[in-house]
Amino acid sequence: MTSPITRKRWFFAYAALAPILAIYLFVRIIPIGRTFLMSFRNWDLIALNKPFIGMANYLELLKDPSFQTSLVNTTVIAFGIVILSVPAALLVAVLLSRPRKLSAFYETAYFLPVVTSMVPATLAWKWILDADLGPLNQFIGFFGMSPKAWLIEPGLAIFSIILLSAWKVLGYNMIIFLVGIRNIPATYYEAATIDGATNLQRFRYITLPQLRPILLFVSVITVIQSYNVYTQVYVLASDAQGAPGYVVRVLVYDMIENGFRFFRMGYASAEAMVLLLIVMTLTLLQFAFLRERT
Amino acid sequence: MSTVSAERQAQAAKQSRQLGTLLRETSSEIVLFVGAIVMMMPFLWMLSTALKTPAEILTWPPRLIPQEATLANFVTVFTTAPFGLWLLNSLILAVVSTLGILLTSSVAGYVLAKFSFPGRAALFTIILATAIVPFEVYMIPLYLAARDLGVINTLPGILLPFVIMSFGIFFIRQNVIASIPDELIEAGRIDGASELWIFGRVVMPLLTGPLSALGIFAFMQAWNQFVWPLLVANSKALYTAEVGLALFQTGFTINFGAVSAGSVISVLPILTVFIILRKQIINGVALSGLKG
Amino acid sequence: MTKRFITLILTALLGVSFAQTITVWSGFPEMEAFYRYVADDFEAENPGVTIEILTQPLRDFERKVTVALPSNSAADILEISSSFAARLVQGGLIPALPDNLAEYVRSEAYNDFFVENASFDGNVYGVPLFRGQGALFYNTAMFEEAGLPGPPQTMEEYIDYANQLTVRDDSGNPTRSGWSLRLTGGGSGVAEKFWTIMHQYGGSIVEQTADGLWKNGYNNEAGQQAVQLYVDLVNKDNVVTPELKGDAEGFELGTTAMFIRESWVIGDIASKAPDLEYDTALLPEGTIALPVNLYVTNDNSEAYAFVEYALKPEYQLWLFENVGWLPNRQDVDYTPVIEAIPQVEAFLNVPEEHNLFTVPPIAPIDEIQTRFAERLVQAYTDESLVDNPEGIAEFLAEAAAETDAILERAGLLGE
Repeated sequence: MTSPITRKRWFFAYAALAPILAIYLFVRIIPIGRTFLMSFRNWDLIALNKPFIGMANYLELLKDPSFQTSLVNTTVIAFGIVILSVPAALLVAVLLSRPRKLSAFYETAYFLPVVTSMVPATLAWKWILDADLGPLNQFIGFFGMSPKAWLIEPGLAIFSIILLSAWKVLGYNMIIFLVGIRNIPATYYEAATIDGATNLQRFRYITLPQLRPILLFVSVITVIQSYNVYTQVYVLASDAQGAPGYVVRVLVYDMIENGFRFFRMGYASAEAMVLLLIVMTLTLLQFAFLRERT
Repeated sequence: MSTVSAERQAQAAKQSRQLGTLLRETSSEIVLFVGAIVMMMPFLWMLSTALKTPAEILTWPPRLIPQEATLANFVTVFTTAPFGLWLLNSLILAVVSTLGILLTSSVAGYVLAKFSFPGRAALFTIILATAIVPFEVYMIPLYLAARDLGVINTLPGILLPFVIMSFGIFFIRQNVIASIPDELIEAGRIDGASELWIFGRVVMPLLTGPLSALGIFAFMQAWNQFVWPLLVANSKALYTAEVGLALFQTGFTINFGAVSAGSVISVLPILTVFIILRKQIINGVALSGLKG
Repeated sequence: MTKRFITLILTALLGVSFAQTITVWSGFPEMEAFYRYVADDFEAENPGVTIEILTQPLRDFERKVTVALPSNSAADILEISSSFAARLVQGGLIPALPDNLAEYVRSEAYNDFFVENASFDGNVYGVPLFRGQGALFYNTAMFEEAGLPGPPQTMEEYIDYANQLTVRDDSGNPTRSGWSLRLTGGGSGVAEKFWTIMHQYGGSIVEQTADGLWKNGYNNEAGQQAVQLYVDLVNKDNVVTPELKGDAEGFELGTTAMFIRESWVIGDIASKAPDLEYDTALLPEGTIALPVNLYVTNDNSEAYAFVEYALKPEYQLWLFENVGWLPNRQDVDYTPVIEAIPQVEAFLNVPEEHNLFTVPPIAPIDEIQTRFAERLVQAYTDESLVDNPEGIAEFLAEAAAETDAILERAGLLGE
């Protein structure tokens, strides 16, 4: 039995959400819905005839080596990016949450990769990752490792993509953590200091728990964005300018190829739906793991 | 134990703590600094490329400081194309998109965080799901919908997909959960305030940090849009800066000098927004005196 | 300039036309200058007509056309490659040319090769404008230094010269490659470059069968020799590696003595390495040519008029001198251009016997080339294929099976 107060609240909720939902319907939900329907058809982008073929696209996907490679690559890349960029971003955010003389410099410096355009940035990265003269090889040379062809060898090329992507997203995550840390009431920390807690204890018992919802946010969106990785791969290894890179097959690259270069839009749509299923599952797992209480 | 040696023990302990703190301070400063340099390198590279001649861009191994610095690339960008107009288009797109996203994300984020109503979980899941599907895959149905609406080759048409942002809604929701206690809202209700008043006067002021961050992200996302504006614009006058930059390539090569120069110019508005909003972000709102 | 601008903006914002506007779309941003040059003259002679030009990078442009044309929001004139246009023409989205223009295309103005690639089912749909075409670029200073008389004329000479021109370090790795080959990269580029070399041996990626359908054309001696060329040069003779800077960049930096590429390199060298001593030469048997044609999407007489206007001889010369693409009209006197830039001769003066080939106008060709390219990239650095003809034959058979499977799926597999 719902009370008048509850119903009044529901009314506010629905009324507030209605216009937003309407926009979502028009620009996202319906187009994506049509994509879902397209996944059961055969369409070459031109023909008026789009024959219905049932689950054929999905069945073909399961056996498609291109898709399997893309899936494995993308998963490795996604986890790599999360592992590399999330803890580092948290560390930097914690370090920067205390006022420093160079705060403005640091924040801007860490934010710069986020605003650096990918095309000119790859020039720098092609040099950094160069097999002969790149600084990365010089750096690992200090530790006695031999120089590697970061862009050419398949396994290493994946690492290069992870490195490049983590570099780009670290500042983004850092800002989100900074906002979260800043919104933790100072009173908690004051009480802890009075109780004689060390920095590490403050971090473990106050910062981390308070940041839980933010941590969930950062990990979920990093996973989602990483599964969507595309531009870096395309710019480092496309057929346009004699790029030296090995093509790391990732899911979105595969999808765009299937849809727009091989003219199999139905097949590409099916691939997108599978991507949705996988990432949605991962997202729900993260929600369960970082158990939300609201 | 005599008091003297206890005192000395205490002093020694204090000194070692101070030394530990000093070490921690210095090492964290070093880590931050080295990290900052690494982060900045590609951007500095972009800047340096913008100032180089084509021959120097080709040089291998490349040099960070150009030997013959030139402003020719910047001149090219503005004279061979209506780059100023394109920057303006980008600005309009980014500002309107940001406003739309801030409004819709704050409202939806708040409601999804603090109101439990039937269908809430499903709605939130759907909103999140729309962020997972790659844009290139559903852009054709969207294009057809835009055509039916008659907004192909117009600014509203370019804006269409960017007035909402799933991550924005998600972000505000998480921040509301993290830093706005139920009691605060209940207090407002007990005092007889309307839901709208609570949202506008209680919740929004507490979200200045997150909203500033979201503003920057939304601005950047709109500014960097490429695929959709290309598809929808049938006239050069509607191009945005990002689209325009893609024209500095021929069938086979990219004019890195011009692209870098254009990118440097493009970055300035975002950096400006960032510097302005930085204060808002790092000075969070401290809820003092609420507990107890 | 300003008046056009204001008209553009007003048209875009208000959707109002102040004059009859003809729109032209191109997938090559550098072509804007050409259309603008022609349009300025055309507009002067035809007051009341405005030409609006839109260019975009190629891949995005093709996507845009694919989406816009079926929904009637494309331009009046589209500049597209013959292979991309094939699908649009076959899908009934582009009308055939009016008789007078069709006759002109069939006249002496164009080599049969270009007429064929602008036609379908007996009708002419497009007007040939320019093409991309490959030839050999070689560093004359390095050739002199190695005591070589001139450019290689046979494939044996290519391999031999490549070995002679390579400079190696103490461990035997090449620091300067004698011949830069395309060994990595996404998309169909690798396959196209391979095709050009295999063409010299008489093979092709796909070939037409007696019943007008298609099947793979490389599971044979020609394919064998081409793959062996690559495998040997990379793994056995150490002439070239994927890590060495290659392509135009390598040629300009002096890390390679020769390579096969299109005519745009000439302009690139002029701006980035103007002191480079080089020349160009025809390939032994023939080369790849990718024709780009103008298509009119609706029955618009002004559009047809503009297309015809753009074909004037003076504009063909302007096109090459200022943009760098090769104009297709063969009844124009190109000597002034050749005198100014001698290296251009291998591209502009194509003798009758030179066997041009192009990407066939079938829908799955991109997929076939991309998949084949992925296999090739693996094979190039596969040391086990050295002195192993059975291994290479096996590789070719597997790849050919995939090609044929794709053709079958598209209903195009012939006997």
